[in-house]
This record gives sequence, structure tokens and C-alpha cells, in this order.
Amino acid sequence: MFSKSLLLACALVLCGCAARQVTPIAMSQPGDDALTCDQLGAQMAANGVSEADYRKQDKQVENGNIAKGIGSAAPFVGPIIAGSTDLSNEEQVKARSLADRNEQLKYLAKQKGCTK
Amino acid sequence: MNRNIVTAAKAAMAMGLLVGLNACASSADPHAMALSTPATPDAKPFPPPLMHAMCVRSVTGGEETNPMWVSKVDNNGFKSALVTSLDSASLLSAADATTCPFPIDVNLLGLSQPSMGFDMTVTSHVNYKVFDAGGSPFLLATIDAPYTAKMSEAFAGVERLKKANEGSIRTSIQQFFDKLRDSNPK
Repeated sequence: MFSKSLLLACALVLCGCAARQVTPIAMSQPGDDALTCDQLGAQMAANGVSEADYRKQDKQVENGNIAKGIGSAAPFVGPIIAGSTDLSNEEQVKARSLADRNEQLKYLAKQKGCTK
Repeated sequence: MNRNIVTAAKAAMAMGLLVGLNACASSADPHAMALSTPATPDAKPFPPPLMHAMCVRSVTGGEETNPMWVSKVDNNGFKSALVTSLDSASLLSAADATTCPFPIDVNLLGLSQPSMGFDMTVTSHVNYKVFDAGGSPFLLATIDAPYTAKMSEAFAGVERLKKANEGSIRTSIQQFFDKLRDSNPK
């Protein structure tokens, strides 16, 4: 019974812990050159809000992972807790890619002589 | 009594296996992340202006490895791997990072890693920014590079994850080089 439970737990853990698919926001995007100053400003503002939101979520995931790391030492259920750790870094990747995207938009705005 | 001993022995074996699979993590090896072999003869050549004209100005976003946690890629290791790769492709400039014609800034956005598994796939997400002599960005590449380390590459989970990290960065540098080959620097 113990062996079967252990095997089942291991199988569940090993099958269910692949990293989530993460897609960062590209720094340079098609059509960037055609953006007006207003469009650039609007995109930068929206990106700034999203970036702050992702950074907040990233912190929450990080704190959750610390708790799971401690919980993974528990007998029997430890591997299941360890398997639920989120190492996809989705929120961090998105936040950082938005910051780089905004850097590029700022450069474009400067090139176009946008005032704000 | 015997049954208790067998149960305890099984539990000890399971714990031992888990400890073995989760031994101390170590940082990715720069040599294993570098492209050390020259491109195949039929590969598209790099644009002539880039030859011996590139350097790595900065690498950010990397993380130090906590031995009690999982293997990561640090900034110095990534920088070393990229410099070695540029050198082996004859792209590395003799000038320092402040004066070379095409400086590169790298931002490691993050590594998407599995928490455990048999075959481990790691995807690195990296922004490569190449500037021209005037300081304008001439190539901005956001590259997602997956690599799967199979059970046959390493039995221990921490070692397999390290190999997946290294393979992912190597693939990322390879894809960056492909973009350089297709670029049109002035």
C-alpha cells in the first residue's frame, strides 16, 4: 500500500511540474516606426502599469515558493509540495520585458521629438 | 515488527532517492554555455562590419545559485559564455567595451524551469541589444530558447536542471548569432 501510494505520488509530481509557457513582450515590434507621439505615450503608460502589477505578482509567487520549499521537507507529502513550486518566472519575465520595451519606446519618442 | 522495519527501510530509501535527486545545486558552467565550435561551412557568414567589432558591455538579470535551491545562470557566467562564443566566431573586438564599434547589452529576463521531472525543459528568455558606433540600437532581439536535458544526460535532478540551463543559454546564443547573420549593419 505504502509503495503504491509513493509511486502514485511520484508519478503525479513528475508529470505535473513542467514549466508554464512564458512569452515575453518583444522590445522591438512591427509597426513601431509608425507610432505617433500619443500612441507611444499611451503604450508607455499602459506598460508601466502592467509592469508594476507583474512585479507585485512576482513577489507573491516568490513568497509562495519559499513556503513550498519549507513544506517540501515534510514526510510523504513533501514531493507533492515541491512539485507545485512555480519556477516558470512568468511574472518576472513579463515585468522585465515590459521595462525593456518601454526603454525602446522612450528612444523612439525621443527620435520623433515627442515632448511628453 | 518485521513489517515496521520494512516500512522504515522503504521510507529511508525513498528519502535517500529524493536527497540524491536534489543534491546541492551549482551554477551553470560558462564553458558549457558557450558556442565553441565554428559554424558549419554552409552557414551564412556574418556581415563583414561585425567581424572583430563586437563586445559585451553589460549582462544583467542573472542570479546567483543558492546550493539549497535550484541551479541558476549568473551574470558573469553568461558574459563569459557570450565573450567566448563571440571570440570563436571571430566577432570579438580587441577594443574594450566602451570603445568597440558594436557593444552588446544583455538582459536575462528569466529562466522558465520545471520544478522536477524526468526530461527537464528549461526556456531562457533573453533580450540582446546591439548598438552601433553612434549609440543607436541596430539590433534588438528578444529570444526564447528551450532546451531539454534528458535522463540519459544526468541522473541527478539538480545536475539535469543545470545541463538544461546550460543548453538553453547555448541555444539562445546560437539564435542570437543567426539574427546577427541576417542583420544589416552600416
